[in-house]
Amino acid sequence: MSGQGQRLNVVPTVTVLGVVKARLIGATKGHQLLKKKSDALTVQFRQILKRIVQAKETMGDSLKASSFSLTEAKYTAGDSIKYVVLENVGSATVKVRAKQDNVAGVKLPKFEYFTEAGETKNDLTGLARGGQQIQLCRSSFIKAVEVLVELASLQTSFLTLDEAIKTTNRRVNALENVVKPKLENTISYIKGELDELEREEFFRLKKIQGFKRREVEKQMLLNKKHAEVAALKQTASLNGGRGQSDNNLLQLEADADEDIIF
Amino acid sequence: MYGFEALTFNIHGGYLEAIVRGHRGGLLTAVDYNNLCQCETLDDIKMHLSATEYGPYLQNEPSPLRTTTIVEKCTQKLVDEYKHMLTQATEPLSTFLEYITYGHMIDNIVLIVTGTLHERDVHELLEKCHPLGMFESIATLAVAQNMRELYRLVLVDTPLAPYFSECITSEDLDEMNIEIMRNTLYKAYLEDFYKFCKKLGGATSEIMCDLLSFEADRRAVNISINSIGTELTRDDRRKLFSNFGLLYPYGHEELALCEDFDQVRGVMEKYPTYNLIFAKLSYGESQMLDKAFYEEEVKRLCLAFEQQFHYAVFFAYVRLREQEIRNLMWISECVAQNQKSRIHDGIVYIF
Amino acid sequence: MATNSALLAIIGDEDTVTGFLLAGVGNVDLRRKTNYLIVDDKTSVKTIEEAFKEFTAREDIAIILISQYVANMIRFVVDQFNKPLPAILEIPSKDHPYDPSQDSILARVKHMFSSDPSGPSSRY
Repeated sequence: MSGQGQRLNVVPTVTVLGVVKARLIGATKGHQLLKKKSDALTVQFRQILKRIVQAKETMGDSLKASSFSLTEAKYTAGDSIKYVVLENVGSATVKVRAKQDNVAGVKLPKFEYFTEAGETKNDLTGLARGGQQIQLCRSSFIKAVEVLVELASLQTSFLTLDEAIKTTNRRVNALENVVKPKLENTISYIKGELDELEREEFFRLKKIQGFKRREVEKQMLLNKKHAEVAALKQTASLNGGRGQSDNNLLQLEADADEDIIF
Repeated sequence: MYGFEALTFNIHGGYLEAIVRGHRGGLLTAVDYNNLCQCETLDDIKMHLSATEYGPYLQNEPSPLRTTTIVEKCTQKLVDEYKHMLTQATEPLSTFLEYITYGHMIDNIVLIVTGTLHERDVHELLEKCHPLGMFESIATLAVAQNMRELYRLVLVDTPLAPYFSECITSEDLDEMNIEIMRNTLYKAYLEDFYKFCKKLGGATSEIMCDLLSFEADRRAVNISINSIGTELTRDDRRKLFSNFGLLYPYGHEELALCEDFDQVRGVMEKYPTYNLIFAKLSYGESQMLDKAFYEEEVKRLCLAFEQQFHYAVFFAYVRLREQEIRNLMWISECVAQNQKSRIHDGIVYIF
Repeated sequence: MATNSALLAIIGDEDTVTGFLLAGVGNVDLRRKTNYLIVDDKTSVKTIEEAFKEFTAREDIAIILISQYVANMIRFVVDQFNKPLPAILEIPSKDHPYDPSQDSILARVKHMFSSDPSGPSSRY
């Protein structure tokens, strides 16, 4: 995993741990949601793919029929009919309107064609010859436009969805492979640090406890010795054996001194 | 008069009649068409055509060939032949030959006027004009902004000037008017041509009047069918019919009233000649009418070759060539678009 | 999307363009700018490229129809263009039958379907 070993640069405290944990929960939730979105988009995407392939085939047939109907028109009305059409172009009567569809928060443009209200021109084109073929040809091409507009919607949706899926997946993957491990690492780091601190504290406490106990014992020993010395002195003065008792006292005092120094 | 023209016809017209009959031999036959129908690509078509009179026109065309190129080159051949005949012709044959092209001339004028209305480049427009309908001052047409100017500046010098007198009234030009103008002009042209042929007399008058009547009737029927459901009023429709032909005047009155295709059929069935054409079509079907008319026309045009010492052969020849070009266009389009099942729907066999 | 109604633009051979204009797609605005380009033998690649760029830059055009063989001539520009709007549609023209393998969009579609059964999510 790419995120392994990385962690956020934070102070390992309990507060930060809480914050990071909250972030991890957020990231997990976000990841789930994005994953769902990506799945929804992918479903839509696959449907569109299928329809695109179909529509492209329909388009092929439809245009073939249209161009043949133009041939028929040219056959009856003469080759020059195309110039008449070309020169008669004014403003467009067939236009497209753009709508928006919403799939899991992605706005998909949708086109629909409409005929602008107004007199249809070219009505009298080929009045003397081939007028009917021209009308047929016109309707055939209008049908082709219909197919093409649908295809255009599909294609635009395709591109938009493709882009949306890409970004969503990027986010999903980023959450999954970077953000979440990072947060997890941070949490384990903080936990580790906290444990370490706790252990240290425990050890320190133990140590101090031990020291204190030793100290108390020593004190008690000392007190006991003092009491013994006092008792000895008493008996020595009572017995009268001076030299021995002096020596003994010195010995005892040196012992006591030694101990005190230590 | 009848029969005597044989004595004098050859003095002026003999050479050209011989030429045109020679050209007639160059028209594609059913065998050629059958071969062309077997073609798989446009290059195959070119190969087949190279054995015909079109060969020299297509041989320098590089592959890949386009249908427009084929049509263009074939038209070029027709134009060349026509020009050759025109330069050789003397009066009144030269006038007659010029009359044949007036139809294209009208189309060209209308095209340029339309283009001018939409402020297109005149030179581009000129390239699109039919070569048979060119005249010297055609480029100056673009200066005109309304009918009056158009007439005063340009058309007064052309042979079409008299035809414009009828439609000079419409001041502003828009799409509707232009299409009506085209048809009004055509009507005037047909009537004038008809009169001219009558004046020539003899076999020319007999055959040409028959052909022109057919043409006029066909236009009347087509206009009736095509104007169904449009803004064109009955009176306007009536005005676009030429004032001669088999249908004139009673048929025209009835056609002007027709509201749908079957009514047109009802009118036409009263005329035995046209009954045959309409009998080929099933009820409610108007698609193949154009082809049926083309076939009938070709039949009549071919008959024109049966007689000698008259001018109708020139008319017939030009028209047959045009039909042939249409056939070739159809075949090459079918081949190019891989619609070979439809290939026989559009061919009108000439001989 | 600011515009509520938008145009279709066409780049193609004469017949294709004629057909669509007949359907009423054509538009000529006040400055005589057209929303179509007719490509013939004389049209240079540069002209097509410029027209394509102009159409893609125009705000009132939502869909660009381009004949496939024309698109092939300026393939690099078409492939470079990757915005969702305007939508670029490659259409077959009559003398050039439709070849799905050359369509940049369809190529991507096919690619996903064939080599990537688990869908696009695993591409990254």
